[in-house]
Amino acid sequence: MVKNEKEQLNQLKMGINLKFIEKRPWLAWILFAFTVIVVFMMGLLAASVTERRMEAVFVNVPKTDIRPFEPREFQSYYGTADTSFRSKYNGSAMIDMLEEDPEMVILWAGYSFSKDYKQGRGHYYAVTDVRNILRTGGPKNSNDGPQPATCWTCKSPDVPRIMNEVGVAGFYTATWASLGPEIVNPIGCADCHDEKTMNLRISRPALSEAFERRGQDITKAGYQEMRSLVCAQCHVEYYFNKQIAEGADYLVFPWDNGFTAEEMEAYYDNMEFTDWTHALSKAPMLKAQHPDYEVYMTGVHAKRGVSCADCHMPYISEGGQKFTDHKMQSPLNNVSNSCQVCHREETASLIEDVYLRQDRILENRKELETHLVKAHLEAQKAWELGASESQMENILKGIRHAQWRWDYAAATHGGSFHSPVETGRTIASGITIVQEARIKLARLLADLGHNQEIVYPDISTKEKAQEFIGLDMEQLNAEKEEFLKNIVPEWDKEAEARETSWR
Amino acid sequence: MAALSVFLGISLFTLWLSKAHSYISDDPKACINCHIMAPQYATWSHSSHREVTHCNDCHVPQNNFFNKYYFKAKDGLRHATIFTLRNEPQVIFIKDEGAEAVHNNCIRCHYDQLVDPKLNVMVDNHREKMTERKCLECHREVPHGRVNSLSSVPNAKVPLPENPVPEWLKMKKNN
Repeated sequence: MVKNEKEQLNQLKMGINLKFIEKRPWLAWILFAFTVIVVFMMGLLAASVTERRMEAVFVNVPKTDIRPFEPREFQSYYGTADTSFRSKYNGSAMIDMLEEDPEMVILWAGYSFSKDYKQGRGHYYAVTDVRNILRTGGPKNSNDGPQPATCWTCKSPDVPRIMNEVGVAGFYTATWASLGPEIVNPIGCADCHDEKTMNLRISRPALSEAFERRGQDITKAGYQEMRSLVCAQCHVEYYFNKQIAEGADYLVFPWDNGFTAEEMEAYYDNMEFTDWTHALSKAPMLKAQHPDYEVYMTGVHAKRGVSCADCHMPYISEGGQKFTDHKMQSPLNNVSNSCQVCHREETASLIEDVYLRQDRILENRKELETHLVKAHLEAQKAWELGASESQMENILKGIRHAQWRWDYAAATHGGSFHSPVETGRTIASGITIVQEARIKLARLLADLGHNQEIVYPDISTKEKAQEFIGLDMEQLNAEKEEFLKNIVPEWDKEAEARETSWR
Repeated sequence: MAALSVFLGISLFTLWLSKAHSYISDDPKACINCHIMAPQYATWSHSSHREVTHCNDCHVPQNNFFNKYYFKAKDGLRHATIFTLRNEPQVIFIKDEGAEAVHNNCIRCHYDQLVDPKLNVMVDNHREKMTERKCLECHREVPHGRVNSLSSVPNAKVPLPENPVPEWLKMKKNN
């Protein structure tokens, strides 16, 4: 009954509606026209929204070849050719670190760093400087020379091109000299940017592989992280692994355990890796490269979300435009655009804060350095007096660990500012370890009948130190000179012919 | 009924296309649904305020929930209208009402700096002088800088909306 009543009521309502319209048919037409107009207008709005949204995809994307009107970012890159800035300890000029600090020659005896170690110049000089440095030697042909092609990895956007052609392992297998004619353009746009979208990208496999081993996916990194990670493709500690591919010096970042000196040391100890055997002490040594990203990650700026680019490539204004300054440089040369974005102190006061940290860290690093030189000499003496392998084992391990810590602090760029606490802690533990080793050495030397201080040699200059460890610098320099005179021009000629054929 | 569903459908489409739902959030990405806001986004993301504020923290009142959303709706509809009519100026300046909201939000976070008890004692009318003038009268560079035309950051990498056409609907290039 109830159901029927409802149905009747509905029919009645419909009837009234229909009747209402049946009596006035023009009303239906008005309703129809109104709907047409409203939907038409909504369609227009939708079209307008679509259009303005699509503008976002095309806005600021040049549709023609804009050369020679290069964007300001590109122009500012050539600022890296500027070598005029000198801070208290570093800057953009080339500094011969062995001249500044001849003790380093002794620390690296038996390793190519004792031949030549300079603070490099800007990105613009990446290829020139690696050709000129004595560590790459003077190859006489494409199969000659001391270094593998791996040494090119960070120098040029030509590297990903060759890796695409011969494969990653293939690249690491080649000799340094064999790729000389290919790797000719210094670090540039494509090292960090996708050439089509200009988005930041990782172009070097070593970083992606290190992330993978740590169980992280680098493709998931956000924009702000990428503004540090593109730098971390190169500004990191690394080593050449010979086990990954047959005959290859495979570039690997030792990050599996973590970023601190101890965690990387454990990684190297576990795989019994040594970079070289020390010429004086016979210790199995590690060479720290430049753990810049790792040390920065332990610092307070990283914790607060500040990326490498925030300070080393800050925003600048020029002619009504704002853009990222691609003259990567020391923030000390550009305090107003870097530090003072957050810190409201006077320029001089901010710089003083940096120098204070550098001074304090250097004080202890020098202390550790001198201890290490003495430890090497004392170990050499112990061998001369007939010490046995088993007597020396722990001592040499101590020297290895202490110098690794020294190098971790010395090789990192800006470490005393990026993370003064971590850098200071690392040096302090290095001093403890080397002192332990020297106490053991003193006992051993006494046992062997030598109970006096070792005579500290005159290593007041680079030349004297190099002579002391028996390097034939004249020959090394002559080889390099010949290489630069005969081989390099051929490389450049071949490269130019190739690049002309692309145009 | 049919008319109503067509209207509803096309309305939903417009809402989806304009990412209308994002305006309820505090995500700064919502503000660059209109690409002309890219300079403001880019300069904020290069400023010290990046780590502690998003757009709404400064640009809409935060004194109470209703006022926040009332202001946001009013300002947002004005922006949407101007953008749709292509009536945007080459250089966008803040309106008085917006400046007032920003000023109050400066005070909201930086109150302690403005009413320093030491200066209150030492300087005549310190509190009035510090809170009744607009902060931005002097701190004009905070945080966007002073170069703000629509074309001031031509190459800034900001997360602008992407092409809304789904992949499966795109013709392959080689067809």
